[in-house]
Amino acid sequence: MIYRVYINFKKGILDPEAEAIKKTIDNMGYNTVKRISKGKFFDIEISSSKNTLKDLEKISSDLLSNPIIENFRIIKK
Amino acid sequence: MPKKVVSIIVFPGSNCDRDLNIAVQKYMNVNTKLVWHDDPSIPNQEMIFIPGGFSFGDYLRSGALATKSPSIKEVIRLSKKGVPIIGICNGFQILTECKLLDGALIDNHKRLFICKESFIKIENKNTSFTQNIKKNVVKFPIAHAQGRFYTSEGNLKSLEDNNQIVFKYSSMNGKTGKSENPNGSINNIAGITNKNKNILGLMPHPERAVEFKENNDGVCFFKGLQNLL
Repeated sequence: MIYRVYINFKKGILDPEAEAIKKTIDNMGYNTVKRISKGKFFDIEISSSKNTLKDLEKISSDLLSNPIIENFRIIKK
Repeated sequence: MPKKVVSIIVFPGSNCDRDLNIAVQKYMNVNTKLVWHDDPSIPNQEMIFIPGGFSFGDYLRSGALATKSPSIKEVIRLSKKGVPIIGICNGFQILTECKLLDGALIDNHKRLFICKESFIKIENKNTSFTQNIKKNVVKFPIAHAQGRFYTSEGNLKSLEDNNQIVFKYSSMNGKTGKSENPNGSINNIAGITNKNKNILGLMPHPERAVEFKENNDGVCFFKGLQNLL
């Protein structure tokens, strides 16, 4: 089974990379883009068990994301 | 009387461990033991340093993977017993990632790797780490890409209320305005302790300012740590 864990910055935290990308998009002439938020994702293949989601949540909060600055979201692929 | 022994944890990618080793031996008048991160036991528990550099390529986030090393599990256990622990640069990042210190260290606000000397104001001299530093402002090198200290407003207030903010980026005269902030850290924060004041994390590198005539401000930092042993 494959799950995808999305990680992104919490709102209000300055992400200079996303800001630079947004500025470049502005320079390309698109004036409709309001905000860019950058994130990452991990595809995790995992053997199914009754604890699968619990384990994934623990992995996501304990390692893949830092709850002080990031949110995570898990979806089944 | 035999010299006391201070432990320095070494990760794949640590590159300030040797400099730290020299500074600690020379100015704290102790022996040192370099402990490989994979070692589940830390035989010398008087005081522990986590050095700067990198750990595991700093994949995921700086310091994140290091938090699961066996030696760090032991550091966490010993920290609860009051053992003095100091993390410098990547060591500070590791200490925040394993939640021994508040906050997070993220990309510098201009996304540049900063490598320069920086004036650092000693914001709190009433900690066992700083009480013997006579100067109010020291000059320590900084060298990092992820040194922007971030924490929530609530946590910031708690850090302030508990006098946990120890070092701030400043001018030569101790001014801590926006123009003295090299990396966008919240309130110019360069170093903090935990609530119990037995764990210190700082981004600047005192171990890089001990051997030069032009700047040896690191010496007073390490000499001042002798009282912890």
